[in-house]
Parts: sequence; C-alpha cells; structure tokens
Amino acid sequence: MSVPFLTGFPIDPAAEETLRALPSSDLLAAWGETVEAFLDPRSPERLALDPALAASSRLSREGLAAALDAVLGGVRTGPAGALLAEADTLPQGGGPVLAVLASNLPALAVQPLWPALALRRPILLKSSAAEPVFAPAFLSALIRREPRLKGTVAAAAWPGGDEALEAPILAAVTAVLAYGDEPALASLRRRAPGKVIGYGPKTSLAVISGDLDRVDVEGLARDVALFDQRGCLSVAAVYVAGDSGKLAERLEEAMANLVGRWPPGPADSVALSGVQQVRLEAEMRGLWRSKPGSGGIGAGTILVEPIPEFRPSPGLRTVRIHPLADLNRLPEILAPWRGKLQGAALAGEGAWNLVPALAELGFSRHAAPGDLQSPDVTWHNGGHHPLRSLVQQTQCSSR
Amino acid sequence: MIVDRISRFVSDPASSKFDELALEAFAFGFERIEPFRRLCEGRGATPESVTDWRQVPPVPTAAFKSLKLAAAPAREVFRSSGTTGGESAGDSQVDTRSVHHHPYPELYRLTIDATFPRFCLPLQASASMLSLIPTREQLPDSSLSFMIDHVLTRWGAPESLTAFGPRGVEIAKARSWAGSRQREHKPVVVLATAFALAQWLQGLERMDLRFRLPAGSAVFETGGFKGRTQELTREELLAKLGTWLGVAPGSVVREYGMTELTSQCYTRALEGGDPDLFVTPPWMRVRILDPETLEETPAGTPGLIAVFDLANLGSAVHVLTEDLGVAENAEGVEGEGFRLLGRAEGAELRGCSLVVEELLRRT
Repeated sequence: MSVPFLTGFPIDPAAEETLRALPSSDLLAAWGETVEAFLDPRSPERLALDPALAASSRLSREGLAAALDAVLGGVRTGPAGALLAEADTLPQGGGPVLAVLASNLPALAVQPLWPALALRRPILLKSSAAEPVFAPAFLSALIRREPRLKGTVAAAAWPGGDEALEAPILAAVTAVLAYGDEPALASLRRRAPGKVIGYGPKTSLAVISGDLDRVDVEGLARDVALFDQRGCLSVAAVYVAGDSGKLAERLEEAMANLVGRWPPGPADSVALSGVQQVRLEAEMRGLWRSKPGSGGIGAGTILVEPIPEFRPSPGLRTVRIHPLADLNRLPEILAPWRGKLQGAALAGEGAWNLVPALAELGFSRHAAPGDLQSPDVTWHNGGHHPLRSLVQQTQCSSR
Repeated sequence: MIVDRISRFVSDPASSKFDELALEAFAFGFERIEPFRRLCEGRGATPESVTDWRQVPPVPTAAFKSLKLAAAPAREVFRSSGTTGGESAGDSQVDTRSVHHHPYPELYRLTIDATFPRFCLPLQASASMLSLIPTREQLPDSSLSFMIDHVLTRWGAPESLTAFGPRGVEIAKARSWAGSRQREHKPVVVLATAFALAQWLQGLERMDLRFRLPAGSAVFETGGFKGRTQELTREELLAKLGTWLGVAPGSVVREYGMTELTSQCYTRALEGGDPDLFVTPPWMRVRILDPETLEETPAGTPGLIAVFDLANLGSAVHVLTEDLGVAENAEGVEGEGFRLLGRAEGAELRGCSLVVEELLRRT
C-alpha cells in the first residue's frame, strides 16, 4: 500500500494487547505532556509545526494559536483524566478504529484519538488531504513521550473516496469515526456497513434575551470569529428578543476589536463569493449592515435580518442578527434544520429556558457566549457519547 | 423604447452600439426596479453619474431568491432547480430557488435564434434533434425547458424527439431515435444536460449498443453535473460519446446560461474553436471580478463571473454570479472569451465536516 504522509502504519496486530497493558497513569501523563507542548507556542513542537499548520488550515498565526487553545484546552489532563476514568468502567478493546477527518481545522484529530486510546483501541487517523500535518506531528510527539504507543496509533492522508485504497483499511477496522458531508458518510456506510459513527455537517447559533447591556458581546464575537467561523460550533446567526440594532452595533464594535487580535486568515473564493452575495443582497433589501472594517471582507459582516428563517452563513465571520420578540417561536423556526444544529450560545433567562426544546432539535451543546467553541473531550459531539457510542457501535456490529 | 432597440440590436448588431444601449438599459432598470435603485443609490451610481456600463453595480444572483426584480409585469416566471440553489436542511429542503420574473419572453426567443443556430446547428438550418431535457409541460417554470421548447419548435426537424420522462432519460426511446437517424445520413443534434447525457451513455454501455450518428452531428451540452451525483469526469463523458455515439469531442458545444439571465454563451466547437472557451454574443459582456474587491481581474486571473446582458433588462442587466471563471481572449472573435472553472456555492453548512477536497476540486 502506498499512502502519502503515512506515519506508523500498518498498526501492529498486537497493538490492542499493548494498549491494555499500558497503565492509565502512564497513558494520561504522556497525553497531558504532549497536549501541553502543543499548547505552548514556544515549544519545539509548535515552532516546527505552526508555519505549515497555519498554511494548511488557512488561519492567521494568531487565529491558529487561538484555535489550538480552544481545541487542545479541552483535552488537557483534567477532562482527559475524567474520560479515562469513565473508560476504565467500560468494556475495553474491540478492535482498531479508523477516524476519517474531513476539514482543515487544526487539531481536531485529538477528539477521536483520546476516546479510542482511553478504550485501549488502536487508531488510524486519516487526515484531510488539505490539512495533513497536525495528526502525524501530534502522534510522533506522543510516541516520543510514551514509546509503548508505537504501533498502536498511526496517521495518514490521502484524497478521500479511493475505494481500492480504502477497502483493506475498512475491512481491518471495527469502527469508523467519520467526519464528512452526507455523500461521504453514505459512501463509507455502504463500504463499511455497521461500522460507521457519522459526524455530518452542522451549524450553530446564539440566542439572546434580557438586558442587552449585560450581554458578553466580546464572547459572542469570539464564538463567531474563532476558526474564522469554519467550525461546527461557530455561531452563524443570533436570535435576539430585544433591540437588534443595539446588539448589532455592540457586536460590530467587538468584532472590529477582535480583528486586531485575531486577524482573518486567507479567504477562499467560495467563501468570498458567498459573502459578496449576502452583502449585495442586503444592500438591495435595505438591511442594516456593519460598516466595512479595516480587516477587509474577512474581518466580518453583520446584518440585521428581519426574516426569522435560519440561513447558513457563508463564513468569513458573517452573522445575521434576527429580531424575535417571542423566543418560544424559535424551535418551530429551526425545525427544518433538525439534525444539522450543533450548539447554541445562550444569554438571558429566556434563552436558557429554551434548552430542552433546542436539545430536542439535536443541539448537543449549550454555553454562555464566549464558551461555545471550547468544549472539552467529554462533549457529546453530534449527540454521540465519546466512549459509549464507540462501545455500543462495536457491540452491535459484532453481533 | 429601449426594449425594441435592444431587440433590434440582438437581430442586427450593426443597428446600435453596446455601450449606449447598456447605459439606457441601466437607466431603465434604475427607474423601474426599486431594490436595484436602492443598491445603486447606496453606491452613488445613478443614470447621471454612471458613464460606463462597468460602473453599474452588479445584482447578486442571491437577490433573485429573496426579491422580486421586475421592470414590467412578468409574462413568464422561471425558477432555478433546487439542486444548485437550495440549502440542505436536515431531511427537508429550504426553498431558496431563484425566481426570474421575465417580462420579455419574445426578446428571450430572439437571443436564442441569434445564437443557437450559429453555434449549435452543423448546417445552421433545421435538424433532427433528440432532447434529453424536460419539456415545458414537465417543468413549466424552467428557463432551460423554455429555451429547448423554442429550439425544438423553431429549429427542430419533424423527427425531433424528447426522451425524458418522470424517471429521467428514457433510454429505449432515445436508443430508437438514434437507430433511425443513423440510417438517414443527415447531421443531427442531441440536446442534453451533462448529467442526462451521462445517464443515456451509461444506459447504452450497459446494453452494449454502439451507434454512429451521421457525420457532422453535434451535441449541445449544458448545466454541468448538477447536484452531487457526479459519476463521470468530463473527459470520461467525451470518451463515452465517441465510443457509444461516434461523436468526436470537437462536435460537443457547451452552453453557459442560467435562470437569472436571458442570453446564453457558447463554445465555438463547431467552428473549430477551443472546446472549453465560451464566447459572448454582441449584446452581452462577461467580466471576471476579484472575489474580494469585485474589481475586474486581468486576463488569466480567476475570479467571479459577472455578466452584463442587455436582454436581461427586465430584471437585472448586470448580474454577479456564483460561478468562477477566467477571462481569455478568443482568437478570431470580437470581445473576450472565458473559461468556466466551477461554482462557488458559498452558503452551505461549512462546519468541521466540510470535505475540503471536494471544495478544492470544485474551485
């Protein structure tokens, strides 16, 4: 087999036994040290990785640092240890896992990696061909700290959908954690029946009620801007029971301030096109629109959209603010997007009262503004328990 | 009346000058279409201030989804297919299709008559045609069906046939037509979207049925592979056309059109031109704009396709598309040509599960 960017493949047939023999404390220590190294922008790992990772993830250097803080902050020893302790109460092993990563957002490989290791299951991380650098770098650093992991974890990148290349891999693993769009997930389900846990495309929003002067707009701006709004927890729209114009002006100021700290990365033509369409259409409709800022089109666009129907954001920090006097209408408004909704940043009692209804629509995370994009490793991404879904899936597929 | 002058210009490009008609068409829309006027006034572009058609703000195709853009009462209403404009929302589809309220269908037909025969008819005269495109009865609000209905009525020989049913391409019907035409030795024309064509060719392949359409026959191909069911690359499609219908790549004419426009661009395949280079008719201009600044890019630099279509004065004379292209001079043709690079559908869910490879392929 010839796979570019391959590190450590094929996985050692005895890998599961090796992992089972590894004391939890040793595993957690190596993991924690590695995570801290990748959180430290002055570490040798980060100094070596950052230029290539910024380029492949299309983030500014500052945006990359913030993204790594958000992702890796959620897998530090504290939450990782909690998950490991839970894993020790569950059936261990069950065969090797393939994680298919789809986007070029940095460091997302750690999200499937740690649950698999906690359950003592070997794992192959298949990176997006557009971002092939993080996973092998992280695994190399992890193995340096805990050499017994050699042969139990591997990273590779190849253009997805190569059925001949993927057939032996799909046959060898017992579970596939797959991030991708619907056709990609359907293709994997067809080729690996019963093995796939799918994480399809999702989007997020904010709901604001109560005293708008007390809303943490800096946090809201962070929830919009982190990952340049390319994450599934990135806020694409804001529903507000109150003065939408006032909120828009406050958010505009916060977003402008943020541009200095987190300059946008290079924008692709697809996103630029989408934002141009949104901006021009807003002009034609006479909607309130934020003033062009110093950071160019990638610095963000805020619209006040009187029509309550949710529309996806084209990205580049573009957010629609929908005035909605009666927030109880929101579940009905969002109903067409059931299953595509991931997180909600909530401010005010009226917003938090919606949690049960939002959960029923498939929202898997609720947080105060500023915290939405920083879940830890215990988060049920897409409604999937990080450990139990893997255990249950394997038990079902082996019947 | 500006509509009459543009109609004359379409039929006789010597009757007027594009630049003058463009400014008049702009003033016409500015006066009659309120959202367009709002856009222009916000940018300081009025009939008094604009001296060059390039200064006219382009209308985004997204505006056709949310606004009624009509300079006069509509006589036809066209809607885009859900595949390119719709947004996936769980199991349901949020209807965000473009709606084109068209007041001048006769002008639309004139643009077809002024271009289709030249670019698509081997002898520039009526020919037997096979259409793999839904009829107007099947899709009454499709601008493509409107166009093909006119083409068949005006330019199709009596043996012309539509082989598209409720379940897509009617393979047997199309096969029967091809068999009959093969024996007649008169050039024919196949009208199809790339996807329908692929469906038919794969059907012929399954049955192992090879035809040799008469020498000089042509294929009109439009629409690309809509949706995500792409099974063939363009190279594979052209190869299969040769294998199963005996049509050479040089006989495949590509058309560029869209619901939001009236006029069409074609490649000059039958004239021996570059098979992937589109050229514009005299009443149309295409510019490639920088996606960030919307300034015109130099030839050879990719960007967004903006179209100034005089025949579209009933809704939006200057349209910013979501298509990516690159400008290139077309040898032997007045004006510029352009290549189509892909579609920049920018409002899909773009979360952690975005398949970047797919986006890269599309751009």
